[in-house]
Amino acid sequence: MTSKITNRIALTVIVLCALVMTATLAALLGYILYHGLSAISLSFLTKDSSSFQAGGGIKNQLWNSFYILFATMLFTVPLGLCGGIYLSEYAKPNKLTQFIRSCVEVLASLPSIVVGMFGLLIFVNYFGWQYSILSGALALTVFNLPVIVRVTEDALQSVPRELREGGLALGVTQWHTIKTIVVPAAFPGILTGIILSAGRVFGESAALLFTAGLSTPNLDFSNWNPMSMTSPLNPFRSAETLSVHIWQVNTAGITPDIQTIANGSSAVLVLCVLGFNLFARMVGKFIDRKLTGKA
Amino acid sequence: MNQVYVKQNVEESHQNMKKASPVLEVKDLNIYYGEHHAVKHITMPIEEKSITALIGPSGCGKSTFLRTINRMNDLIHGARSEGEILYGGINLLTPKVDVVQLRKEIGMVFQRPNPFPKSIYENLVLSLKFSGIRDKKKLKDIAEDCLRKAALWDEVKDRLDKSALSLSGGQQQRLCIARALALKPKVLLLDEPSSALDPISSSKIEELLLKLKEEYTIIIVTHNMQQAARIADKTAFFYQGELIEYGNTDQMFTHPAEKRTEDYISGRFG
Repeated sequence: MTSKITNRIALTVIVLCALVMTATLAALLGYILYHGLSAISLSFLTKDSSSFQAGGGIKNQLWNSFYILFATMLFTVPLGLCGGIYLSEYAKPNKLTQFIRSCVEVLASLPSIVVGMFGLLIFVNYFGWQYSILSGALALTVFNLPVIVRVTEDALQSVPRELREGGLALGVTQWHTIKTIVVPAAFPGILTGIILSAGRVFGESAALLFTAGLSTPNLDFSNWNPMSMTSPLNPFRSAETLSVHIWQVNTAGITPDIQTIANGSSAVLVLCVLGFNLFARMVGKFIDRKLTGKA
Repeated sequence: MNQVYVKQNVEESHQNMKKASPVLEVKDLNIYYGEHHAVKHITMPIEEKSITALIGPSGCGKSTFLRTINRMNDLIHGARSEGEILYGGINLLTPKVDVVQLRKEIGMVFQRPNPFPKSIYENLVLSLKFSGIRDKKKLKDIAEDCLRKAALWDEVKDRLDKSALSLSGGQQQRLCIARALALKPKVLLLDEPSSALDPISSSKIEELLLKLKEEYTIIIVTHNMQQAARIADKTAFFYQGELIEYGNTDQMFTHPAEKRTEDYISGRFG
């Protein structure tokens, strides 16, 4: 076989694989949006869900999803940033560092249902926080933390060594060099990683089944006292998120319009995740332009 | 034989330039990377307000030597040094030396321009802000002064708030020199500062260094023999970690005392 033919075969196979992948994604997205978009309306987004009548909305679920996402990020971003900075900048290349890194990797590949069970045992039962936003957010923290650590470490590692040396050679301490030069240079990468992981957190359901619960108490959106049981801000109330709602409606729903609600919720979920991704790209590009002075 | 010659040469140069006192005195310096003996028994004085060029083939230890002077080699895992580098009577290699303070007095410019991905102005004042200077007016004045000294002011004065990465390679390198001047160092170490630049940018850097030596002591590592011949007052030839010859540049390039120096300078190896 001549090298020319080999080359052509390789190219064909690769192009075919790429086509299959793209087609799958397009079909999936098309299916979800085709069935779902028609179900989305203002009232669908702003109405409470109903337990047995048709015409329920997803207002609470949508709010819960964003609230849990926010709480999760509040825990993971500072912790993950510090962990990533430690691993990339301070940790000496020894056995302990290697061990920490493997732990991060194992944690990142833990099945989310296992994380959910862990959350049930620790946060829900042991700490007695019941099914709540807090338990859910902490479980998702376990789920998301390794990703943020990894993203931060990778972004910092891609900052050229010359910049660190440049800072140190100016008589600037290591911490100040990291703070004012290295982290800002890695910022676009870190931010993109955080936003992408937000999409993953937003769509997560298995880890929340046993931690945030399958129901939401009646919420009063005019009550912003976080201690009140009907307040949307209360972190100790149970909270069904959008992705859990999809699962819940499909397995145990008794309303006549199950299909419509599931389709609409799926479409909203996918659109949100898509939004996160596009937003991540835009922000990354914007900052990159600003830093390299092309804008 | 070698060692003796170097010493004679050093003494000779001492007598030649009595008025210029050495700002750095290197005494029996040895540098190791783990087991590897990278720099061997270097002894040389470095005179104030002059340009000293370090030449030699790749891997001869000249960059390692340079990076030891401001203790940048501390960052390399497994690197250690023995001997003395006296600066104002203090041995820079002792652990109690404050490296942060040391690096303020002995600045460094690297082979590849490494401006921070920030504005031109931020590049200049970063170290000043770290040293606690907050006065906007003062920061601006120092930034302008440094840019003028680095012959970059006219090119960038209208776009100080633009990213430093938007500058050309040569401008970036001059910005790095300007940045190093901000802290008013006594000594400037340059590690092949123009090897990544085109000939025009390179000659601008050379002009700049000739001007800067009126105020600063400059030590430059270079692979470019002509560059050493053009700008350096003193030249040191390193080979396999040893200082083979050290003396006045003119003399070294016209009548090298050592066969190996002659071979290297005339391009027979290296």
